[in-house]
Amino acid sequence: MNSSTPLRFHWSLSQAGDKFRRLRPAEQMPGILNLDSQVELCRQGERYGIESMLMAIGFTRPDPTLLSIELGLRTEKMKFMIACRSGLISPAYWVQQINTASALIPGRICVNIVCGHTPHELRYYGDFLPHDERYERTEEFLNVCRAFWSAGPAGLPVNFEGKYYRIENGRLRTPFVASDTAVPEIFVGGNSDQAAALAVRHGDCLWRFPDRDENLRSHCELLNRAGKQLGLLVSLITRPTPEEAAEACHALLAGFGVEAKAVHQQFAHRSDSIGFRAIYASATEESEWLNPWLWTGAVPYLGPPAIALVGSFEQVAAALLHYQSMGITQFLFTGWPDIEEMEYFGCGVLPLLCKTSTEKQVC
Amino acid sequence: MLRFHWRLVQRGEKPLMTRSLRDERLETALPDLESQAEFCRRAEEGGIDSVLVDINFATPDPMALATALACNTRKIKFIVAVRSGLISPTLFVQQVNTFSSLHGDRISLNVVAGHSPEEQRCYGDFLDHDSRYERTREFLGICRGFWRRGEVNFEGKYFCIQGGRLNTPFVSEQRDHPEILVAGGSESANVLAIEHGDCWMRLADAPATMGQSVGPALRAGREVGLRLSIIAAQTRPQALDAAYALVEETVSRRKDGETEGRFVSRSDSHSIAAVYRSAEKEWLAPCLWTGAVRSHGAPAIALVGSHDEVADALLEYGRLGVSQFIISGWPKLDTMVRFGEEILPRIRAKESKGFAHA
Repeated sequence: MNSSTPLRFHWSLSQAGDKFRRLRPAEQMPGILNLDSQVELCRQGERYGIESMLMAIGFTRPDPTLLSIELGLRTEKMKFMIACRSGLISPAYWVQQINTASALIPGRICVNIVCGHTPHELRYYGDFLPHDERYERTEEFLNVCRAFWSAGPAGLPVNFEGKYYRIENGRLRTPFVASDTAVPEIFVGGNSDQAAALAVRHGDCLWRFPDRDENLRSHCELLNRAGKQLGLLVSLITRPTPEEAAEACHALLAGFGVEAKAVHQQFAHRSDSIGFRAIYASATEESEWLNPWLWTGAVPYLGPPAIALVGSFEQVAAALLHYQSMGITQFLFTGWPDIEEMEYFGCGVLPLLCKTSTEKQVC
Repeated sequence: MLRFHWRLVQRGEKPLMTRSLRDERLETALPDLESQAEFCRRAEEGGIDSVLVDINFATPDPMALATALACNTRKIKFIVAVRSGLISPTLFVQQVNTFSSLHGDRISLNVVAGHSPEEQRCYGDFLDHDSRYERTREFLGICRGFWRRGEVNFEGKYFCIQGGRLNTPFVSEQRDHPEILVAGGSESANVLAIEHGDCWMRLADAPATMGQSVGPALRAGREVGLRLSIIAAQTRPQALDAAYALVEETVSRRKDGETEGRFVSRSDSHSIAAVYRSAEKEWLAPCLWTGAVRSHGAPAIALVGSHDEVADALLEYGRLGVSQFIISGWPKLDTMVRFGEEILPRIRAKESKGFAHA
């Protein structure tokens, strides 16, 4: 992997049409999102170089697999990155669901494996394992999934005996459908070293939160050495000029009440995610800026995913090219609100990347 | 009014296809959105209430397929098959609720305990017959808890849920939960249907011997439904010809009978074994034929006769208290279309004169 690896962009669907979703306590977030807003965001993404939409999983939102099928049938080429946690479903049955989804919207499914971040939520689903054992189980889960994908519909039966799963003569007749691969692209989400190791062994790309460059290097080298990619899960606030971008940050903060801060203070205590804890901690530092383009000002109100890449179109394009040269090549954006931010990105930042790096095949 | 459902046709299923042929063909595992949606639209036009979407290793996932088909149809409902060993009940409810948030209450459930230990192990499920029912009971108990919309706390032998909540509700103007059909001929299935179901589904049997078995469910205020096949024609001799043609096809392929026999011997389902045994007798009642069971599987127990005879046979079940039917037929689409044109109008006409119910 080197600096000529093309940049790839993805977007989170999780708050389409509801930019203040994360200001509310989780229990009060609406469990049904407006379908038209979601379709609109997907279609806009198709126009603005966004490759896939992250379909998150959690008790506050609809099931990502079914929603992906519905949105996929209403759009042309947008891909859907379907999140999964290992404690929720038999790996064989999950592969059957994912393969069926891929057959319904061919070539437009990839997966995002996460280990969960809040034990009390995992218990809603009957999952009582602590952090490290969740990683151990996810390792087995992916082992089984990959065995089914490698075997394909006509291959040898899958046999597996582990600590968490046991499969005997497993067969599935529905294949994963895509023009170029029999295995979906696998993203692994997480900031811990276990997550990075999991991505090295079983994934194609690790999603993690941004940090100062020196703190990203070890994961970056680990992944790149293994021929895998590193991607950043980050909010985006970009405007034509630096002043307008700073103004957008202020405007965002002005919209928040004190209650939102309390919501996230409580959430921070409940989470056992290494990444969430680190971002919350960095947001209590004196400066709201980890470096000239990384802003943590909204984290106390909106949570860790609100750590933001901030700047003018030129500044953000330069930051992205800087990351590319470090070996960080994929980005999963969130915006406040998404639809406008995606337009700034597509019309403002993307053309600059195309112009400055024709050989780097960004577009 | 009696309600009629039809088993969804899978891709590439040929008119006379047996289980052995179906499992050999990889293409049945790929959805065929265009022709399956067309099948659903023809079902809508013909007065069919729902299509049954099976679950097994050789077909697409029913929940995903039903979502795509609902997107391509207007009002037909989908009876989605579910087994308790595959998915957390919480995530399952989340999927059902997500479906309803997109397509309303066009989803109901066919709860099955599984019938082939060999196939269940593919999915990592190693429980025996009775333990599967025990687990399914816990599974449905948790599902019902989520549909009551409170916080769910459950501590059982197979599942443990603490403070469970889901923000996506079941969306329907009529119901607070999807209609739950519990399928199975065993005592355990019957008890489960009464405790957590809306309808007990069993394979058809002679009306004379069925009366007793439907009693407990009906007295508990549950519906009773039958799974069967239909081979009908303008005249009885024509229907018999069609029935025998189905078997001849099989005799010429002895392998089909052997495959089905092997399948049954490996199954731990009580009702599959019972129907297979009953197939020693070719006619269980004047219209109820078991001739195709040994090649096409237990749900191939069939009403055979003229359109009038089949309509009357269905109404006779209606008088016993049966109110729903899940039907298969060969060839699938033609049989369903003719059912809508010939048999259903006869049933509705007699129902309106008060013939239907006991």
